[in-house]
Amino acid sequence: MTESIDHDLKVNHTKDESSRQNFVQGMRSYVLNDLSGHMKTVWDRRAEPAFKKARGRKPADGPEVHKTIKSETLFKFYSAMRCNTQEMVWRSVMPAIEREGRDLSRRAQVLSQAGDKAEGTVTTDSNFQVPRYTSELDVHMMPGNYHEERIDYDVTQGAVFDNGLSVFSFGLLGDRMEDITDSVSTFYQARYTESQPKKILDLGCTLGHSTLPWKARYPDAEVHGVDVGGPCVRYAHARAQSYGVTAHFHQMDAEHTDFEDESFDIVYSCMFLHEVPLKNIKGVFKEAHRLLKPGGVMLHYELPPNSMTSPYDGFYLDWDSYYNKEPFYKAFRDADAKAEIEAAGFEKDSFFEHVAPSRNLYGQDALMAAAQDDGAKNDSRVGRFGDGVMWYFFGAHK
Amino acid sequence: MPDDSANAESTPLRYSVKGKRMRFFDAQGIDELVAICMGMAQEMWVIKERQAALEFVAAEKGVLLPDDIEGHKFSTEQRTALDAEKQNFIDRIFFTLREEAESLTAEPEEEPSAPSMP
Repeated sequence: MTESIDHDLKVNHTKDESSRQNFVQGMRSYVLNDLSGHMKTVWDRRAEPAFKKARGRKPADGPEVHKTIKSETLFKFYSAMRCNTQEMVWRSVMPAIEREGRDLSRRAQVLSQAGDKAEGTVTTDSNFQVPRYTSELDVHMMPGNYHEERIDYDVTQGAVFDNGLSVFSFGLLGDRMEDITDSVSTFYQARYTESQPKKILDLGCTLGHSTLPWKARYPDAEVHGVDVGGPCVRYAHARAQSYGVTAHFHQMDAEHTDFEDESFDIVYSCMFLHEVPLKNIKGVFKEAHRLLKPGGVMLHYELPPNSMTSPYDGFYLDWDSYYNKEPFYKAFRDADAKAEIEAAGFEKDSFFEHVAPSRNLYGQDALMAAAQDDGAKNDSRVGRFGDGVMWYFFGAHK
Repeated sequence: MPDDSANAESTPLRYSVKGKRMRFFDAQGIDELVAICMGMAQEMWVIKERQAALEFVAAEKGVLLPDDIEGHKFSTEQRTALDAEKQNFIDRIFFTLREEAESLTAEPEEEPSAPSMP
């Protein structure tokens, strides 16, 4: 259901539509916790022992686990049901957005023009070319993706993502669904106390739910978000205005922005890199390096790399790359982020990585304690969307 | 699929996912049957929630007795509205079959491919 949406772009779902959403949330919880647990049991008790008996060793990596478990009936049901719940997430919210399409667009325009609560801005470009790796795909099976447009001042796909994410996350993303960046930015501020950013950029910002928490941490900073989706940046701006948070949104490609050299103190992204091909991620790192002031920091919230996870967890997290229309996910998780970041020009050995406990789940004290701890933890809860999720992020200094 | 897409405010959306569909079972049609079963389960839950709401409200207000439901005959208008809803109900449950057909007319020019299978 969509209770986490409490801003002025909220749409009215009928009772039956809310019931469908309620069912999808229950089904996702069942698939990601129960069925996933059953599949792990099959792996531990049958598939892995059979592998060890045949090969005289344990599987070396995620692909070996994948290849072995693929023939198990539970893998097939887990996978088929996960795909179906994923599609049902979006389908459960689309009828209300479809009904209110034009009114939603008008409301977004009014919010964007109103300056009584916030003074943010939004810019879109009618000639903007969405990168083909995005335009040719319905990323994570979301029909229309982030960018498709049908009407004037179209915010539809922003609304589909916002409402769908609310169903998808079944409360795990906390108030306003900002828990990831809320937790990561709080951790960052507590650990890097010397950092006093004046200008912050969020790459692939979608709804702005990864942009606005930075303004809460650093109220005097100028906060910007970019996204290739016109409907997303319009929606993000209207959402920010509704919440009374001043932020600036731009339809731009994170790899080729229009900002000046050395104009930002923090360049951040949240759940963005894994949706980008590796060669373009390298371009994003180079662009971030160009945009950062000397001493500035690049930060990315992401899924943990395969080098940090067990073979089974590697298989489990890479599942989306094969079956959830997120084909670039595995190459990103296989990559050596530290080497790629240094190749983009960042200061040698300035790479860092951390795991921030979710403030929503574990509270402020756990988050502050973790901020004083060193290094990322190898924890099977990292990156999983299930009970007890933890947030992994990495970065480097210029 | 939407109940009242003729509304002037509405903007028709594409519900089918673009590109190649995922398949997990060797036997033909099993993947579709999983989707259909899940759609059925979802719609059953919708009914159960509505039924529960109805029973709670009826009990609270003391307006319904068991025979009131059992003996009810639908009016022509009620029947027409229910029949229309029934068609939407069926379309939602069997959505996967419509998607199969729609995927043949909405192929992307060049869908980025997943990593090679292990």
